[in-house]
Amino acid sequence: MLAPVADARRIAAGVFSLWLECPGIAGRVAPGQFLNVRVTDGDDPLLRRPISVADVSGGRLRLVFRVVGRGTARLSRLRPADQLDLLGPLGRPAPALRRSDVLLVGGGIGAAPLLLLCRRLAEKNRVRVLLGAREKEQLILLREFRSLGCPVKVATDDGSYGHHGLVTELAEAGLENAKRPVVVACGPKPMLADLLKRLDPVPVWGFVEERMGCGTGICYCCALPRKDGGYVRFCQDGPVVLLNEVGL
Amino acid sequence: MNWAATIGRTIFPNPVLAASGTFGLGARFPSVANGLGGVVTKGITLQPRAGNPPPRICEFPGGIINSVGLENPGLAAFKRDVLPGLTRLKCRVIVNIAGFAVDEYRELARGLNEDRVDAIELNVSCPNVREGGAVFGRSPRRVEAITRAVRAVTSKTVIVKLTANFVDPAATAKAAEAGGADAVTAINTLFGLALGESGRPFLGGGSGGVSGPALRPFALFCVDRVASAVRIPVIGCGGIMTGRDALDFLSAGASMVQVGTASLVDPRAPLLVWRELKAWCRKNGVGDWHQLVGRTRRAD
Repeated sequence: MLAPVADARRIAAGVFSLWLECPGIAGRVAPGQFLNVRVTDGDDPLLRRPISVADVSGGRLRLVFRVVGRGTARLSRLRPADQLDLLGPLGRPAPALRRSDVLLVGGGIGAAPLLLLCRRLAEKNRVRVLLGAREKEQLILLREFRSLGCPVKVATDDGSYGHHGLVTELAEAGLENAKRPVVVACGPKPMLADLLKRLDPVPVWGFVEERMGCGTGICYCCALPRKDGGYVRFCQDGPVVLLNEVGL
Repeated sequence: MNWAATIGRTIFPNPVLAASGTFGLGARFPSVANGLGGVVTKGITLQPRAGNPPPRICEFPGGIINSVGLENPGLAAFKRDVLPGLTRLKCRVIVNIAGFAVDEYRELARGLNEDRVDAIELNVSCPNVREGGAVFGRSPRRVEAITRAVRAVTSKTVIVKLTANFVDPAATAKAAEAGGADAVTAINTLFGLALGESGRPFLGGGSGGVSGPALRPFALFCVDRVASAVRIPVIGCGGIMTGRDALDFLSAGASMVQVGTASLVDPRAPLLVWRELKAWCRKNGVGDWHQLVGRTRRAD
């Protein structure tokens, strides 16, 4: 599906936000799902880049991504009215929670997919948000999360904003008095592993941000080891998976 | 206009197939499949296989390298859980089978003597397993033995998918023909290696199989070479992304084509290739695409 860019801007060093005009996808995308984005008309780079949907507003949807290579570098150069070739929405929606005490933990660019999730979960759950970044300048979407009315706590590695230290150090306190605790997290692997360790046996759902081939379940190239043997094909059975059941 | 392609006893509605390994088990996108000549399933083995550890794919300018390692549910689960869904497709169904001994190919073929299976493609070319696979495909003697063993137990159309890794595919194509194959597919992926900065292999399986546009010139060369070596039809495969690419493979001698890696970029790719090829034929007054097959040699 071709979608025109409505707004393109840099929101932090190396981090970009795109609003796309795409009623066909905006109307049916669920939190946790992603789009597979073509970065060129030609054959190089060949594969699409999977990017989670960060937010939806009317017929528009928002992608927020960090430049990590040639593909995302190309995406960062898009300007309003440019067209983007999208495939989606793909993947399984994040669990539809109700009456739970939800802790959303976003590390760095991992804050992005949690925004749409927060918006949808806030109606039927008690939601708290923890955002972590290396430094204040790397914090993203803080204003957007705050506007949703949920308590938001921040940690920076260098102490330039909020708690001085790791965002995971705020996790136990974030679940205080929680009757039905559930965590949904997106961020670097060490962050996810640390959350699992600290909060065990609380269910921790996490976004898998590994390499994919097709994004549609036909190439079997994305594989995350399951603790009981075999692999999870996370483009189809994820990208949000119950981290307690997989080997990170 | 007649767009049908015939191989062995199987009549395909058109000459474009979705290649093995790049279209899942075949039924994920029925609306695409229904517009194709057929779909080829992922390689099926006797026993279920978990596949290779990740990462299983990496990109390079012009293509990809994969090392999936034949992840599949195994023959019994395939027949129970997957085959019924394939029955509902309007296109032909080719089941790709991979064995680790001659007997296993025979047993797989015997197990697939089901109405819903139109043809069997023998995978003697998988680059991502330690035994069998491309190791078998390198030996004309083994290729002939496997083909003969399968031919003896099935009346289905039998296709042999060739490797060009350290072997002349014309030699193994002749062996397949001698063993009773109805057609050969040329070619599977080529060996490839990607390294991490540490100097260790990037892919979890070690090395992998190269596919995509970068493979195309060599695949085309192989199709031309194989087509002039055997009488049975050749199915061209290797980096076909567009209708124009498919046209080239027909010209080089392919009677049908398979679209693989392009499906990873867009699952509709095989259908788009077919539409573009059809449009080219119409535009150029080609009433029967069969007359395009092998015109490269005829022009000599």
